[in-house]
Amino acid sequence: MKQPKSFEEGIARLKESLDVLGQENTSLNDSVKIYAEAAELIRYCHDCLEKHKLQVEEIDLQLARLGGQEE
Amino acid sequence: MKQQAITVTVLNRYARQALQQVDLLQNLVVCGEIAGFNRHYKSGHCYFALRDAQSSIKAVMFARQASLLGFQPQEGMEVLVYGHADLFERDGAFQLYVDYMRPSGMGSLQKAFDQLKAKLEQEGLFDPAHKKRLPPMPQTIGIVTSKTGAALQDILNVMGRRWPGVKLILAPVSVQGQAAEEEIVKGIRALEQDGRSQIILVARGGGSREDLWVFNSERIARAAYACTVPLVSAVGHEIDYTILDYVADLRAPTPSAAAELCVPDREEWLRKMQDFRNNMQNSIQKKLELCYNKMKELSPESAREMNRARLEQRQEQLKQLGLLAGERIERIVTEKESQLAAAAAVAHSLNPYQVLARGYAMVETDGSVAQVEKLEPGQTVELIGHKARAWCRVEEVKKGGVSDEATQIL
Repeated sequence: MKQPKSFEEGIARLKESLDVLGQENTSLNDSVKIYAEAAELIRYCHDCLEKHKLQVEEIDLQLARLGGQEE
Repeated sequence: MKQQAITVTVLNRYARQALQQVDLLQNLVVCGEIAGFNRHYKSGHCYFALRDAQSSIKAVMFARQASLLGFQPQEGMEVLVYGHADLFERDGAFQLYVDYMRPSGMGSLQKAFDQLKAKLEQEGLFDPAHKKRLPPMPQTIGIVTSKTGAALQDILNVMGRRWPGVKLILAPVSVQGQAAEEEIVKGIRALEQDGRSQIILVARGGGSREDLWVFNSERIARAAYACTVPLVSAVGHEIDYTILDYVADLRAPTPSAAAELCVPDREEWLRKMQDFRNNMQNSIQKKLELCYNKMKELSPESAREMNRARLEQRQEQLKQLGLLAGERIERIVTEKESQLAAAAAVAHSLNPYQVLARGYAMVETDGSVAQVEKLEPGQTVELIGHKARAWCRVEEVKKGGVSDEATQIL
């Protein structure tokens, strides 16, 4: 499975998977594949929520390139 | 007497010395209205005039003192100025040297606020149509606030609890004093240019109305309006409204509330993840059951079962048909029998031999019934009676038979 880039993408893909899984005409073979992928996505999203620590970065206003000279 | 001429410099020095003798001028509190406020961009010194209805005096506030100002001086604002009056020798200018200044009562602040608000509103800076929506799950949020303030701590706490996956970029600024306006404007622009932030949060903890005054700055308002990233204002407490609040895409009552509004809730999403998991289990379970049922339908047992059912059904059908056929046949036979009986009765009544029993005889020639009028004399005929036969020779054939006689009798 391709790793999602963000929690948001993970959730979006998860919702899609669930939709397909819920459709009557999805074959069992596909269902099993999608189920496995959805389980991976859930694990990824869960990890996003459980493991992340707040990251704080500072930008230096003195070095920041500012458009236009102030009046 | 010829008077000795003095230079301008000397004159101004005399005047200055004279003024410095006046104690009254050394420790002043002057009330007036600000006019032509100008801060030198390089030195940071502030120059303006203080005036009332009749008079005006030049005033200067040096950068060091100006940096401690808790509000943004505005044109027409009534202030109390603390300082001393002196002569600036180079220009011979009598002016006020300002150590400290504060708005004289809320009235004038409110007036300045109302004026600016009306002006910006008319220009469309508060237009709801211009307001941008916040992304529901920002990955990066820029924060313009003091590095040491309580606001930042509140924001970090709430975001750390609610949505620790978010990355924060802090633009550290002063949130009060003379430099605050410039730094806040720079902070907004720097975060916007940095390009990573999906939301910019401008925050400051609670304080007096004067402490928060810088957030009523027109320059900050315009910078916020021009900012292409959704901007959230979170200044002071719930009851504090600043110009920035009106311009911002979203106004949060406090920095903590802003943090809540900017990110989703982790607990809620953990619950949702559980729902997803259940949902998924149900889906696959249902799918499996469906497939299992389909498979069962196709198994030999069920095929046999189905065949037997079909067979029984056919048998029953057949039985019914058999019964029906029997009934029909019986009816037809009965009908035909009665027809036959009727025909037999008719046949019986017409049987010529029956007549012979009553004593009549029948004439035959060559094995078939002969008509008497066609007989020839000398011909041999067979006479058939009920119980006997006689062979006879015809003597004579005479016209006029029983029918004629019967006719005659009748």
